[in-house]
Amino acid sequence: MFENVLNFFIKKDKHFVANVVNANKTLKVRRGEKLLTAALENGIKWPHYCRVGSCGTCRCKLLEGKIRPLTDFGYVLGAEQLKEGYILACQSILKSEIKVELNFKQKRIRRTKI
Amino acid sequence: MKKFFINIRYFIVPVLCSVTILGLIVGGPFVWTGAVLFLVGITIDTLVIKFHTKGAGVDENGKSYGIKELQNLVMYFMLPVFIILQVALAWRVYQYTNGADFGLVTLFGWLPVQTGITGLELYGATLSAGAFAGLGIIYGHELSHTKDIGWPISRLMMGLSGAAHFCYAHVYNHHLELAHENDPATSPRGRSLYKHFWLSHMGQSKFSYDLEREKLEKQGKSFFSLDNKWITGYIISLPTIILFVWAGGIVGVACMFFLWTVSNFELEALNYMEHFGLVREKDKPIEHRHSWDNDTAFTSWFFIEIGRQCDHHVRGETHFWELEDVGGPNPGWGYFTGFTLALVPPLWHALIKKKLDHWDNTFANDAEREIATKINKQASYA
Ligand code: FES
Repeated sequence: MFENVLNFFIKKDKHFVANVVNANKTLKVRRGEKLLTAALENGIKWPHYCRVGSCGTCRCKLLEGKIRPLTDFGYVLGAEQLKEGYILACQSILKSEIKVELNFKQKRIRRTKI
Repeated sequence: MKKFFINIRYFIVPVLCSVTILGLIVGGPFVWTGAVLFLVGITIDTLVIKFHTKGAGVDENGKSYGIKELQNLVMYFMLPVFIILQVALAWRVYQYTNGADFGLVTLFGWLPVQTGITGLELYGATLSAGAFAGLGIIYGHELSHTKDIGWPISRLMMGLSGAAHFCYAHVYNHHLELAHENDPATSPRGRSLYKHFWLSHMGQSKFSYDLEREKLEKQGKSFFSLDNKWITGYIISLPTIILFVWAGGIVGVACMFFLWTVSNFELEALNYMEHFGLVREKDKPIEHRHSWDNDTAFTSWFFIEIGRQCDHHVRGETHFWELEDVGGPNPGWGYFTGFTLALVPPLWHALIKKKLDHWDNTFANDAEREIATKINKQASYA
């Protein structure tokens, strides 16, 4: 009963497809799920460190499609990177199918003062 | 039904906070309700110290028993609850400073309310409100990770205690630098809770200040801008300040500062217990061993699994009901018990020293053990 009432309010499962073009990998990302979480669940060795949007290790270049950023990427990514379309996978929710480019060897971005 | 009970056990604070508000409204000796409930919490947590839990758990399909929509809704709902808590206290401050007559009136035809309040009762009311305002941390913390709509709600909740800077410092500093001297929220060995309270609070505010300065410089904007989240964080606290100044002038401000001190002291006590004395080499990955888990049944349910720090710091995006027992370091006591021990520094250091000895020998890697040995000498732990 309790679950039926709740299920009434919860939307049905839906997903979008993300394509990592330079690695020829495709994965399904559930509605509301973060890109990094989906990638790790799918066994993709996506570089990451903090998983909360503060280190930049999970950045990738958005080539096509739309995402909803959960944080202001400007705290971590530089102006150039933002202009080039870089996003943080751990703070990105898909709004459509997307194509991204990912450097699997990249390291964390450092703030100058620390 | 199992799912129902697993979910409602995380509603202890919403229920007790509502009872505390009721105590403030009813007045008389009932203004002490929040403080008494806090003491009851210490007692229960200590009595059930042997009962440890493993989180909300998963069903036969591997899906968490936690219901995201329900838990999020309750956390959002806590914002108006904490606002009402402050308004109720401000109303009592107003009664005190305006010398309201003592008497009994009935509210809504059933609720007996004592009008007027003595100085001692006002102290009790502020302590009670502070004890529960401080528990806003657990929601402010969780929502700061949920992001999205959770982020502004988290900032508003923390802003009620003058600590909106926490959200940025926690995510951008603590989650990157914990168990290292670059993290003001991590207490080194030898430090007392009282000293940590001040250093951690100011250190996090300073971090947030620097973060905004750098961001705005990068964007070519003035420091004095509404894009400065450090400044807007304090602006968020303005309604609280105005409310208490209006309610009681100097007395109101004194009550507000007492309220903020109690609530921020609780916040920093959690930081203190979560990583006390743990060591990590700079830039080395954050592992389970860099946090203390506190998972007695009462702590886990009361503090919505915030004590599952080992997993939280490795999977920072994970909702509290999905956090798991990962076999990390664990002092064996819950937060209420740990808090009480930390109030008496010699007792805390005597007990935690043994836990840290165990950590050095069992969890630390060689490089960390070397650092710990040096620190132990400086802190007279050796
Ligand atoms: S993993 Fe650190 S920003 Fe995404």
